[in-house]
Amino acid sequence: MATTTAAVTLSSDLLSDNMSVSASTTCMKAGTEGDGLDMMDYGYIDIPTGDEYDLLDANNSGLNTNKANKLYIANHSTDETFYVIVAIDGVIGRLYAGDWMFIPWGAVDQHDDIEITANGGTNTLCYALFHEGRTLTAS
Amino acid sequence: MATTATISIASDIAPGFGGISNTMTLTKAGTLNEIEETTGFSRRRLAATTLVDLIIMADASLIQETDDNTAHKVYIRNIGDGKGNIDKSTYVQIGIGDKAGTPQEIGRLYGGDWMLFPVTGVDGEDVTAAPEKDNPVVLEYVMFYQV
Repeated sequence: MATTTAAVTLSSDLLSDNMSVSASTTCMKAGTEGDGLDMMDYGYIDIPTGDEYDLLDANNSGLNTNKANKLYIANHSTDETFYVIVAIDGVIGRLYAGDWMFIPWGAVDQHDDIEITANGGTNTLCYALFHEGRTLTAS
Repeated sequence: MATTATISIASDIAPGFGGISNTMTLTKAGTLNEIEETTGFSRRRLAATTLVDLIIMADASLIQETDDNTAHKVYIRNIGDGKGNIDKSTYVQIGIGDKAGTPQEIGRLYGGDWMLFPVTGVDGEDVTAAPEKDNPVVLEYVMFYQV
C-alpha cells in the first residue's frame, strides 16, 4: 500500500496560555481504513495576473468525484502584498505570499475546478494533489 | 506574538519525491504584521447528517465587520467520536456558505483527517459541516483572523 502522511503543527501565543496543536493523518482512499491514496500530481507554476485560471480541472482531469483527494497549495511569492484568490466555483479565500493550505478536494462536478486569480503580480505556486487516479482520454 | 503553522507531507507514491515541509507565520493581509485575533480552540459534536454552520463569520466579526481583504485561516480536524475511536471510512462534508442556502463544497474530511485553509470572512460565507452519518462525530477547529 502506498503511504502518504500529512502532519501539521500549529502554535500560537495569542492566548494567555500558549496553544500548540499537532495532528497527523494517513491519507486513505475514500471509504477505506487501510488502502492509501496511490496517485499524485506535483507542480510548481507561475500564475500571471489578469485572469482566473484553472490550476486543476475537476472535469477534464477525469478525477473520480466524491473521493478523498488531498490538495496542498503554497504561495512561494516573496512580496507580502502578492496573493492569489483560491476558488472552487465560489471563493474560498486569499492565499498570500508565504501562505500554504491543505484541504480535501471533492471535485464533485465540472464546476469544482481549483481556480486561481493572481493579484499584485505574477505569483509562484507549488501544489501537490494526492488522489485515487483518473480516467485518461485517448489522444 | 506569533502564530505559526508547519506542514510536513511524506509519501512513497512517486519514487524520488522528497516530501514537503513548509512553515508559515500567519500575518494580516498584505503585510508582515502578525495576525492577532483567534476564536480560540473549540470542539463540536455532531450526531446527525444535518448541515450546520461550524464557524459563523458574523460571530467572528463581532468586534469589527470584516470584508474579503483578509488573511483569515481556519483549521479543522475530524477526531472521530471524541472518545478515541476514529473511523477513517466516514466523513464530514466541509463547505463555504450558509446552512440556509447551498454551500460550496470543499471536500470530505474523513476520520482523523485535518485541513487548514484561508477564508474571506465575508458575512454569510460561513464554514459549514455535514456529517455523512448520524453516528457522533467531533470536529476540533480554530480560526485565526484579523480585525
